[in-house]
Formats: sequence, structure tokens, C-alpha cells
Amino acid sequence: MSGIDLSVFPARQIRDAIASGEFSAREAADAAYERIDALDSDVHAFLQLTPELAYAAADRIDALRAAGEDLPSLAGVPAGIKDNMNLVGTRTTCASRILGDYESVYDCTAVRRLLDAGALPIGKCNMDEFAFGSSTENSAYGPTRNPWDLDRVPGGSSGGSAAVVAAGMASISLGSDTGGSIRQPGALTGTVGLKPTYGRVSRYGIVAFGSSLDQIGPFGRTVEDVALTLEAIAGEDAMDATSSPEPVERYSEALGIGAKGLRVGVVRDMLAAEGCGEEIRAVVDQAAETFAALGAEVGSVDLPNAKHGLAAYYIIGPAEASSNLARFDGIRYGHRAAEATDVLDLYMRSRAEGFGPESIRRIMLGTYALSAGYYDAYYGQAQKARTRIIEDFRAAFERFDILLTPTTPEVAFRFGEKVDDPYTMYLNDYYTIPVNLAGNCAVSVPSGLCTTTGMPMGLQIIGDYFAESTLLRAAAAFEEATGFDSVPPLVKALGVAKGGE
Amino acid sequence: MAKDRLAEVLARYEAVIGLEIHTEITASATKMFCGCPVAFGGEPNTRVCPVCLGLPGALPVPNQAAIEWTVLAGLATDCDIALASQFHRKQYFYPDMPKDYQISQYDLPFCSGGSLEIEVGDEGGYRTTVGITRIHLEEDTGKMVHVGGSEGRIAGATHSLVDFNRAGTPLMELVTEPDIRTPEEARCFARKLRSIWLALGISDCNMEEGSMRVDANVSIRPRGATELGVKSEVKNMNSFKALHDAVAYEIVRQADVLDGGGRVVQETRHWDAGARRTSGLRSKEEAHDYRYFPEPDMVPFAFDPEWVDSLACRLPELPDARRDRYIAAFGLPKHDAALLSAEYAQACFFEEAVEIAGADRAKQIANWMLGELAARLNADGAEIADTRIRPPMIAEIVALVEDGAISGKQAKDVFAEMAETGDAPGAIVEAAGMKQVSDTAAIEAVAAAVLEANPNEVASYRAGKSGLIGFFVGAVMREMRGQGNPQVVNDVLRRMLEG
Repeated sequence: MSGIDLSVFPARQIRDAIASGEFSAREAADAAYERIDALDSDVHAFLQLTPELAYAAADRIDALRAAGEDLPSLAGVPAGIKDNMNLVGTRTTCASRILGDYESVYDCTAVRRLLDAGALPIGKCNMDEFAFGSSTENSAYGPTRNPWDLDRVPGGSSGGSAAVVAAGMASISLGSDTGGSIRQPGALTGTVGLKPTYGRVSRYGIVAFGSSLDQIGPFGRTVEDVALTLEAIAGEDAMDATSSPEPVERYSEALGIGAKGLRVGVVRDMLAAEGCGEEIRAVVDQAAETFAALGAEVGSVDLPNAKHGLAAYYIIGPAEASSNLARFDGIRYGHRAAEATDVLDLYMRSRAEGFGPESIRRIMLGTYALSAGYYDAYYGQAQKARTRIIEDFRAAFERFDILLTPTTPEVAFRFGEKVDDPYTMYLNDYYTIPVNLAGNCAVSVPSGLCTTTGMPMGLQIIGDYFAESTLLRAAAAFEEATGFDSVPPLVKALGVAKGGE
Repeated sequence: MAKDRLAEVLARYEAVIGLEIHTEITASATKMFCGCPVAFGGEPNTRVCPVCLGLPGALPVPNQAAIEWTVLAGLATDCDIALASQFHRKQYFYPDMPKDYQISQYDLPFCSGGSLEIEVGDEGGYRTTVGITRIHLEEDTGKMVHVGGSEGRIAGATHSLVDFNRAGTPLMELVTEPDIRTPEEARCFARKLRSIWLALGISDCNMEEGSMRVDANVSIRPRGATELGVKSEVKNMNSFKALHDAVAYEIVRQADVLDGGGRVVQETRHWDAGARRTSGLRSKEEAHDYRYFPEPDMVPFAFDPEWVDSLACRLPELPDARRDRYIAAFGLPKHDAALLSAEYAQACFFEEAVEIAGADRAKQIANWMLGELAARLNADGAEIADTRIRPPMIAEIVALVEDGAISGKQAKDVFAEMAETGDAPGAIVEAAGMKQVSDTAAIEAVAAAVLEANPNEVASYRAGKSGLIGFFVGAVMREMRGQGNPQVVNDVLRRMLEG
């Protein structure tokens, strides 16, 4: 037994403990795999474990330490990687049958940067197929369960990445967020999940869903872990023409400043949304009080067009997805139907066999929306709504530094509750989607447990373009004031062996 | 097909022809959206990477040089250059297209609204202007190889292989207005465009290897009608002659259909150069829905007008300007000037030779190039870059003749040897002891001996058979092993015989 509990060690302390010789990077990897052995048969957060890669990375860190070299920022920190990111030596399945045996032949830039910062790649995390979903129930390989309540979903689409952090099977993880796929599972699992500004993190090597919406971002148990991880993965990339040359700030160094003087806007009109529970609504009011107590100037703001976000998103997202998923055709890689009579038949059979129902639904939606005669009515209108939402945010950020909403309208739901009703499933992303459409940044921070269900609730803090530093500073102040205990009962039942704090 | 048959059809019908010309930007070192090299051929699937193979997660990054070449092409053909432009995705499934969409341009091409004036026919021909609708940039597809069928075509094939070496090569598509009226105009336009692309250095424009591909949209309508007829799109013409012949065939074919009371079907037709006919490929009556939408993997382009101006400064002398300069500066006949300026490599060859030989010998250089050299290239089916003859050799051979060192006849022998060996003309002349003798005293000595040896012929000549002069010249040249200056020999003999 390694005797190390990743549920209590933040990333920086792991690195420092390795640097000081308190334990080795190999032992940090051991801690991750021991926790996985104990819990993942129930949680099912990983689709593939990669101990060869993790221990090879750990050995490099231990060799650096033995040679007396400086250790990088995430040295020896166990990390999970969502299964839509390429990493040589792994399969990248996107939780789909169509890529079931697809072996990566190159590295995703963000993953490469994470590993260059010394993180240990523990495994590839479960997700909704091609990131279509809010519960991981759309994984072709079975859902992930919420470590806070195994009968409930962990959120999605990055449900696996959220669950591995919540359960202490890794300290940090990478997810991707197209409409809320990091923030929503972050809220549902009591973890911190950040969607960076569009262009802040390279998209090279992540299997595209909605190219104009997708961003890779980190999960962590603490705001500092998320800040450290963002520092490692952010920055311009010659392989992604939409990555920004904006310099990467030292986000982790601005965290202690506090919230004094921050102008905080509560997005008042969105709180009246369909399906938003009373207690969730109260989260935002309590947060506003917290910020006021910390010396922030708190006010109210409306985003009158944000209510069109869901409709616009379900045009633009599927339109781009229908195009991005065309390449999975059975010709060069991935699933190919065994019996086909000609090339058209090969395409149709391979795709019908390879894609799950939600993927097929989105491909059909997107194909329809882009079809001749419908383009203006759907895609054109959606782009107009998108422009309006961008203008709403621009106006709001003239008055405020950060905005507050709930992350989700409700806490984690039970399996099967929404799977037959796509619309209420889609409603789960009501608060998160407008941010993807506008392209700015947002983070979900745990804001306490629901008194009736005992499930975590999340506060969404929204920042302006490339204002991650302000965003994380506010999140850190809120985190400190809230004092959320991020360890779920399931983990506590294992008995905490050795903490870092 | 008989020419008069076409003339007869065109007397009754007006042909309306538009061209779509795809040109691979072979001047670009790398592909359109990745760092793979642009080159013809190679072992299949060796010039590929995650981007041009469309692997999951790979992203396109636009090639700035290719965009600059496209803008240059637009500037050279009088187009408006869009300051706001972007790529779109054109979506359809085909195994040679790795992403099952092609990154192309839709409503915001880099260049639009241009025109090109062409001259049709030689002296006594006419000029006409063809509108250029647009020039846009896209990525080329891979190549399919169909195995088991006839001639590599898909019909009857048992399976197909795909080579992605070509996939992602920058491909410039120019679309003309339907301003072209005859097969000859189509040929002239394509030729002229090729000469401009070559002068710009955009592409090697090799029609056989497919780096320049010309498709023609052809329809006909009764003379005087204003409504357009139904068009067919003719493909697979890999030479200018094929373009001309395919368009001519198509015009007559459509006339036969209409004359027979039928109707022309909108379709794509394939030119078979062997059978000299077009055949239908697939019906376009059900138009493809390509579901174009803005390419989200790249931000839209916003160009600075100063950037466009700086590119305009990079424009080289274009073929028409070059032709006019040859006429003005060197006094070349228009026909010669046009021929020399049309091919960029040939024009460079010519100018290098003139640089060495001097402008006053430009005409002689042009004569050699359009005469002996052209005949030789034609016979070998070679390009000017392929021969061993270099510009300094032509300059030297002209100088040898002009300075009277060798005769015109000798020069032709020297040229032939030069073409074989690549040796310099001076060296060939020297090695063969071929120097022309113009020294009057030396020629007089030989002539005197010839006259003495042939008293009967001398008597006949003096009696009036002046035609015998050729006999004496021949005899003197033989004695001098061909090195006598024919003019001097002639003069000396006449003086001695008549004096």
C-alpha cells in the first residue's frame, strides 16, 4: 500500500512531497491504482488504464529527483484523460463502437503539455459517446456512476473525468466542454471544473464535436489544482489556427488576492428558468452574500438573449458535429461493416452499426439544419442568436468582472430518469451553454450539499474573454469562504490513510 | 469529326461555354492545411500526416503562401481581391476525401469579377474578352485506383485503392463566365491562362499529370435565342487539343440530339481521347446538396489593403506585356513575339540568350529558337528545360554565323551536334576544323587550281553556260573541305571567270 490518499493531497503538495523525498512518483501512481482497484468496478470512470505510461512517466520524475533536477509544476501528479483526446500508446474511442479499436498515432497538444509538466497518465476516462450527453449514459461501454451516490449520474459528457477526481482515483483530469461538459459534471460531483476561453487551450488532437464551441479544460478538487493544470495546458499552438497568441498568465499565483473590489453580477433573469430548483436558486443568493462579505461590489444583471442559447446550441452543435463525424466512414480506420455490397452500402452499414442512438440523433439534426432550403431558417438564425448572446455578455462585462449563475438547474439525477426525454436532458446545460456560444470562460465551484439529496451543488462563475486570472481568483475566494468538503462518503468509508493537510 | 460539320452546326446554333480550371499550386512547398510536401507521384501514402489523412482530432492550418499565390492569380486576371474572406466545408462522401468534406470556398472567394482578353487565330484573327467569375482556393482530394476493371475506371472494378499523397494539395479553381463561343476560344483561353500561371510561377501546369485540369460546361441554343440551353459538364481533357476536340464533339453531339427532336440531359460527360468521344458519367439532374457552412476550424480572414498592394508589387511581367516589349525592343514580328512570350521557360531562355548576344541579334536568336530548336523539341516531345541546349550556346552559334566564322549550313551541323553532345558550338567548330575561310588570297589560289583542272567547263561557261558557276563553287568548296565562305568563293570565281 502506498499509504497516500489522493482525496486529501492537492496537486501542488504531491509535487512538493516528491521533490522533498517524502514519497516517490511511483508511489503516487500506486495510490491512484489502489483507489481504482477499490472503487472503479463500481464507479466505472475509466475505459482504459495505462499503467505502462504512468509508471514510465513516474520513473522519469523519480530520475529527475534523484539527479537533483528541478521538478516541473505537476511532477508525479496522477491525471485522468477524457477518451476523446489522442495519446500515443492508448486507444481513443470517444466511448463509441465506431472507434472501439482505434489506436492513437499522435498526441493531443493539451495532453502532451500536461505530461510535459510531469503529470502521470493514469488512464482514459469514460464519457458520453463523442461528448453527446449530460450523464455518460450515452457511453457505448456503460455509464459512469456518481461517487457521491452510485445510483445517480456523474453528469456528462466528461462524467468519467469528473468521477476520477471526485473519487480520488486521480488528482486532476482533462475534460472537454462544448455546452457544459466540464462544468455540469463538476457541479454534480463536487469538483472544480473550468471551461477556458475559446482559443485558450489548443484543440489539436481532441476528437471534434462542435469545432466553434469545444474547449479542453481541467478538473480538480481545488481551484489551485485547476489553475496549475490550466497553466500547463494553455497557450498558442501552431497546429490549431483558432488557438490564441494571448500570453498565458500565472493563474495559480493570483489566487490569494481575494474578492475585495471585484464587481460581481448576479444573472437575475436566468434564475427564473424552467426546472430550476429552489435550493439551486438559493445557491446563487448565498454566493452573492458571500462575495459581498468578502468586500465585492454585488449587483444584478440580465442576459435577455441567453434563453435562446439552448435552441441555438442544438442547431450549431449538431451542424458542426454532423460534419465532424462524417470522417468515421469505415474506409481508413474504425469500425467497418463486414458485409457491404458497394461503397454507399459500406458507409451506411458501418455508420449505422458504429454510432449509438444519440450520435445518430445529432448527425440527423445537424444534417437537416444545414440542408439546402433550411440553412437560413436554422443555422443562419442560430448564428444571429449567437451574436445577440455575445452582445449580452459584452454589455454585462462592461459593468461587472464576474457573473454568477447556478451551474445546473438541479443536482445529479438518477439513471434512466431522463434518458428517454432528450429535451429535459438538454435542459441540464441551460446555464452553461450561453458561455460556449459566446466563447468566454467559466468555472463551476462546489457550493455545498443539497439538504434533501445530499448531492453536491455547483456555482457557475463566468468571466470575460481571457479573464481566467480574475475568474480563478474569485473562485478561490469563494472556495475558501465556503469550506466545501470534497470527499464523498464512499471514499470516506475506505478510511483515509494519510493526508497532506 | 469534320471541321465543316462543326462550322455547319455553329451556323445554326450558338455554343455557350464556360470553363472551370483547377490548378494545383505546385509552387507551394507544403500542402494547403499541413506541413506535408507537395510533389507528384511517390510511393502511395508516404506524403501524409494526421491532418491530410483526416485522422480524429487533427486540425487544418491555412497555408499563407498558397493564399498569396491565389491573390496574385487574381491580380493578374483583373479580379477584385476580397478583403474579407473565409473557407467553407463542402460536404459529400467519397473515399478519396479523408474527412468526407472538402475545405473549399463558397460565397466569399479570395478573387472575383476578373476578365481576360484573348486573341483567337493568327493575323486576321479577333480579340474577345472572357469574364472570370471567381478564383477560389481549396484542397485537392486523394487518388482512387480502381482495380480489375478496364482502363482503371470504376466500371467492372473488383476493388479500389486510395492514395492520399495528393490529398490536401493546394488547389486553385477558376470559374469563367459563359462567355466562350467556340472550341478554339476555349483552347485560346486555357492556353493564355496557363501562360500567365507559368509567368507567375504558381504551378507547373502539367495537364497530363493533372496539375492543371480543365472542365468545360457546354450548351447550345438556336442562333438569336436568349434563353440558355441545358448544359453538360465535360471532364478528363488532359491537353489543349483534347479540350478543343471534346468541346467540338459536345457541340455537335448536342446539335444532333436537338435536331433529332430530343432534349439534352444535364450530366457530367467523360472525354475519351482514344475513342474521340464523350460519354455520360452520372446524371446531375438531382443536384448535390453539399451543405456548405463556414469552416469553424479557422477564423475568417480580414486582409489589409496594403498587403494586397504589396502582392501587386510582386506581379512579374505578364505574357502580353512581354510580347509587346519583344516587338518594341527587338523588332520581332508579332507572331514570333507572341510565340516566345507565351511559354515562360521559353521566354526566359530567349532573354538569357539575347542578354549574351546583344539586342541587335535578338531576331536571329528568335529564328533559331522557333526554327531548329522548336523542331527538335517537337520531334523529341521534349520541353525546353529538358534539352542539352542552353541559351549561351544559341548566342554563340548566332555570333559564329554573324561574324562569318561559319556558314549557315555549317551552323545547322553544329546545332545538330550540340543538341546531341551538349558541347559548346566553338568547341565543335574547332574540333571539326570547321572554321570558315574568308581570306580572298587563299580562295583565289584554290580557285585558280580548279579552273586549270577543268578547261572544258571554263570554256563552256565563258561561252554563256553561266549555270556552271555552281559546279565551280562546289569544286572549290570540296577542295576547301567545306570551309570556304560561300559568298567569297562565289565572288572570286565570277571575277576570275569573267575578268
